[in-house]
Amino acid sequence: MIAIQNVDVDIGRLINDAKQRGTGAIVVFDGIVRDDDICEMELEAYVDVALHELEKIGKDATEQFNLLHVDIVHRIGRLAIGENILVIVVGAGHREEAYEGSRFIIEAIKAGVPIWKKELTKNGGRWVPGEHGHGRGK
Amino acid sequence: MKVRVRFFARFRELLGNEIVAEVAEGTTVPDLVKQVTEKNSEGHTAIFDENGQFREYVILMRNARRIDTADAPKQIIADGDDIAVFPPVAGG
Repeated sequence: MIAIQNVDVDIGRLINDAKQRGTGAIVVFDGIVRDDDICEMELEAYVDVALHELEKIGKDATEQFNLLHVDIVHRIGRLAIGENILVIVVGAGHREEAYEGSRFIIEAIKAGVPIWKKELTKNGGRWVPGEHGHGRGK
Repeated sequence: MKVRVRFFARFRELLGNEIVAEVAEGTTVPDLVKQVTEKNSEGHTAIFDENGQFREYVILMRNARRIDTADAPKQIIADGDDIAVFPPVAGG
């Protein structure tokens, strides 16, 4: 399941659905809204492009780390502190591939997928600065 | 020619979701973005520096594909182009 959606996701169900013949490890990454003295977080995406890029990242991770299953669900819209922002479920034969595949996916998302976060505070809001920002076509 | 320029995140707040513009033959990508932002000084300044160059952090897409801001002056706009202008991404 690769999705960008407003609604939350049932992580337990994703884990159950990820299990298949040959699965020996499932790694779950759950990025959540941290309480950095904010009220809420607002997420925005260039949805068509971001979805396509998430699909490519999942495919690349599957090929590179011999993964058996990949879910990437990124939330958009307004989220409260503690809510899930990004859930990645990776299934593999062994833990090494599962951990490495999960790490590859989150780093690739942070590096380039067109999604933005704004922290909403009592005094307004602030856009979260990107970690890899430049306009050199990357 | 009619083209669409979309903005995201902070640029969207300053300039709106999108602007549909009529452009002349031979218009380049920077020409187009300047044309649609010139009446909005805060938005224009967020995207272009004092020399009229794209700021270092600006990211461009043309028809859903990233283009290098350094190459943008060589890219001539075609009818129906969909240009996206956005700041550094911060998903995850």
